[in-house]
Amino acid sequence: MPSTYDAIVIGGGHNGLVTAAYLARAGKKVLVLEKRPRVGGAAVTEEIFPGFKFTMFSYVVSLLRPEIIRDLDLPRHGLHILPLESTVTPMENGDYLAAWGDHDETRRELYRHSPRDAEAYDEYGKLMHHMAHAVRPILGMVPPDPTSFDPRDLMALLRLGKHFRGLGAERLHALVKLMTMSSADFLDEWFETDVLKATKSASGIIGTFLGPRSPGTAYVLLHHYMGELDGVFRAWGFAKGGTGAVSEAIASAARGFGAEIRCDATVARVLVKGGRATGVALENGDEIAAKVVVSGLDPRRTFLELVEERELPGEFISDIKRFKFRGSSGKVNLALDALPSFTCMPGVGRQHRGAFSISPSLEYVERAYDDAKYGEFSRRPYMDIVFPSMIDPGMAPPGKHVMSVFVQYAPYHLNGGWNDAKREAFGDAVVNTIESFAPGLKSHILHRQVITPADIERITGLTEGNIFQGELALHQLFFMRPAAGWAKFRTPVRAYYQCGAGTHPGGGIMGASGRLAALAILGDGA
Amino acid sequence: MSAASRWDAIVIGADVNGLVAAHLLARAGRRVLVVDSRKAPEQRVDVGWVPPQVLRDLGIRAPAFYLQADQRDPWITAPLPGGGKLELWRDLGQSTEAIRKLSPADAAKWPEFCTRMRRLAGVLEALYVQPAPDVETREIGELLRMAGLGLHVRRLGKQTVIDLLRILPMSIAELLDDWFENDTLKGVLGAAGVWHLRQGPRAGGTAFNFLHHHVGSPAGVFRPPRSNITQVLTAMPGVEVRWGGSAEAVVLATAGRVTGVRSGSEELVAPLVVSSADPQTTFAPLKPQLDAEFVRAVGNIKSRSIVARGTAQLERPADFKTLCLAPSLDHLERAHDDAKYGRTSARPYVEAVATDGRLDLHVQYAVTIDQTLIASVAAALGVAASQVSLEPQSGHHYHGELTLDQILFMRPVPGWSRYRTPIHGLYLCGPGTHPGGGIAGAAGRNAARVILKDN
Repeated sequence: MPSTYDAIVIGGGHNGLVTAAYLARAGKKVLVLEKRPRVGGAAVTEEIFPGFKFTMFSYVVSLLRPEIIRDLDLPRHGLHILPLESTVTPMENGDYLAAWGDHDETRRELYRHSPRDAEAYDEYGKLMHHMAHAVRPILGMVPPDPTSFDPRDLMALLRLGKHFRGLGAERLHALVKLMTMSSADFLDEWFETDVLKATKSASGIIGTFLGPRSPGTAYVLLHHYMGELDGVFRAWGFAKGGTGAVSEAIASAARGFGAEIRCDATVARVLVKGGRATGVALENGDEIAAKVVVSGLDPRRTFLELVEERELPGEFISDIKRFKFRGSSGKVNLALDALPSFTCMPGVGRQHRGAFSISPSLEYVERAYDDAKYGEFSRRPYMDIVFPSMIDPGMAPPGKHVMSVFVQYAPYHLNGGWNDAKREAFGDAVVNTIESFAPGLKSHILHRQVITPADIERITGLTEGNIFQGELALHQLFFMRPAAGWAKFRTPVRAYYQCGAGTHPGGGIMGASGRLAALAILGDGA
Repeated sequence: MSAASRWDAIVIGADVNGLVAAHLLARAGRRVLVVDSRKAPEQRVDVGWVPPQVLRDLGIRAPAFYLQADQRDPWITAPLPGGGKLELWRDLGQSTEAIRKLSPADAAKWPEFCTRMRRLAGVLEALYVQPAPDVETREIGELLRMAGLGLHVRRLGKQTVIDLLRILPMSIAELLDDWFENDTLKGVLGAAGVWHLRQGPRAGGTAFNFLHHHVGSPAGVFRPPRSNITQVLTAMPGVEVRWGGSAEAVVLATAGRVTGVRSGSEELVAPLVVSSADPQTTFAPLKPQLDAEFVRAVGNIKSRSIVARGTAQLERPADFKTLCLAPSLDHLERAHDDAKYGRTSARPYVEAVATDGRLDLHVQYAVTIDQTLIASVAAALGVAASQVSLEPQSGHHYHGELTLDQILFMRPVPGWSRYRTPIHGLYLCGPGTHPGGGIAGAAGRNAARVILKDN
């Protein structure tokens, strides 16, 4: 078995593709193996109903690292981000809260709800901007090992300490609060308008199994705020062609650098000889040799399925086994013959070019979480709704529309387990809830696709359907992601690396894990 | 400063921290007056670790001082859903056997769990007997002290470092789910994780709260030690204590400098005031002299009162020492769900300590205290409602919740964790400061040492 490849990347999700592109760019001979017929993992666009295209699992892009866009020259490979300029939150009393692309308009709208909050909004924005800047270097940094006495780790820890101390007292304190508080408590310190807090706190719960009052969600708030930096995309964006187009662009860049991408190729296991990875075995029995094997799958699959338990230290295995996934979100994709009109802002207009957030009050979102906590899907869930066809007409046949509904909470561990009946009941809860804010929606539905965490797991392979490859909880971040001592993209098996969102800095269509992994691999002289 | 001042320092509050601070200042030659708004000393048991440094510095020895830790065995009793009870003992082996009847798997893990938690509590103990690390410092002495702490932790082994980083931000539910399967056991342990918090066991940081309340206890005992330290301090000569100040003493200051306190109608002059009262109460009258940022930070202290205390009279002696009624983590979580929406728990968590023919009660989560709550407590204990009485709440027992954003250098407010305040000559020494409530005398001692260094 001659070593034909320098590196094999398992899984053609966006992180795997980023790793492959960076390795190929450095002149390595790279092969990407994807089990599905197309690349993208959870970032795929598929024509589910004839003429109607959906970004199946993910829906918006804002976190993709600007250095990746630059290094891989993604716009040349077809990446085109269209701005998503507004967020409208319908309230239960028929009123709404809107945030528009125009800052002054947003301020005026806030002023209508609370003059005090309108004042605080700018201050808050400034603080979050500084906080995001303070954390940004960490996104581009290989986490040091705090348990190591290696001078390089100690120096990195010192530099990190110095960085934080350099922020100054006030910002350091704000950062500690962001790292430890609940988004509701954090926002309580700033605002009084409930619907504003509810809508803001919603970005603190995305992809977590936590409610807005759970400590740790303020960090997720910040994590999602990163996307609003850099001036590359203002606010949340939508990729032309859906998030699948992001994956395609990265894949195209990787190919451009000489990487080979093979779809419909399921890896059964990683070949290990004498504690060193030597290649992979495919499900069809083929064996492919490589100097380095990189897994873009989540930590559980990377370590507990692809390699034999005896290749890994016992303590490490128990760390991986207790790594929390608990997928909590689902997706409902609707094909419509016309756009729905929302009671709070009747008619069809520019509001449909932005998002609708179903987060009318903190209590509403918190109660949605309560249902999930005890093993049920939310009867009235939190939802983030966009109409991709309004921004990118290519997504639906002329005159028709697609509606993408991100839903939380749909717990992976549902009482009694997920089945077809439960899936449809969940879909009904989603549609009925939206109907209460936009009467008439149901009559416009041509097709409906409901995706539960169990479906996400079945289709993409993401363990427990967690879209971030592991919860973004404090004890699963930075040098703890995915396990203490193994956060530097290496693994206990030599020449075997990890590059998925289950490593630092984690989820979202960010690509940072993939890039850092590639740099780590190249740094090791692979 | 008034030349006629009879006192070098006035301490507000004759509770354990106020008294520790007062006695330490007196021992350093200061003339100290303690004022307290209560009519007379209360005969209340002190719950929480008394650091040996406090006893040593004040020369307190047994038999005057006792730790009830020596007496309570089993340290907890919990009814089992199918009848019978789980009793956990000071003896690890005896507890292991008791757990084995519920779950052999849990029993197998118990000794290791106890050892790991004990080691982490030891780290907290080292942190608690000194002021919180000053992360902003440029002073070489403080940096060395922090490095020393780091080294101390590192010497406990790699596993301890990992445990600390991983467990402190976790929820107690996740921590216990990692280790155990039995609901009764997890309920008993999980209850300690939510003590005095307006949070349920699934909230991040409750694992820290669990360890905080393990401080001072031997391995395998997850309830704080109990002692009579306040009574000993009250009886100790050296400081004058004035009781019955009708209302909480008010700090007086002019131009950012403390001048004394007003206790009732009396103005007492002193160049130094040490308050063990709630920071929000202490600073309320001083707002005009404080900068807006500081006032906002004090206003933002989360101190939502959530525990009701009281007693239940018994007709016959209890067949337990301490009874924990928190049958599962879900029970605790549901009790918290009510509080989350501003209601008292329909089925609260109740802990009862048998003392002199009565039960001392800890009830959580209590937003308001009314007949409904009394009835549900009585029902849980299996006594008549008339036998239960609950005290009206008077602020948060810890003067600020022990959440991760309100500990160490963030307590009581960010940047003011070292007992000093923006008012010159005014210091804090209560549970609202590091290391917080449930640690008897540590804040008072830490504060006194800072005060003596400054003055």
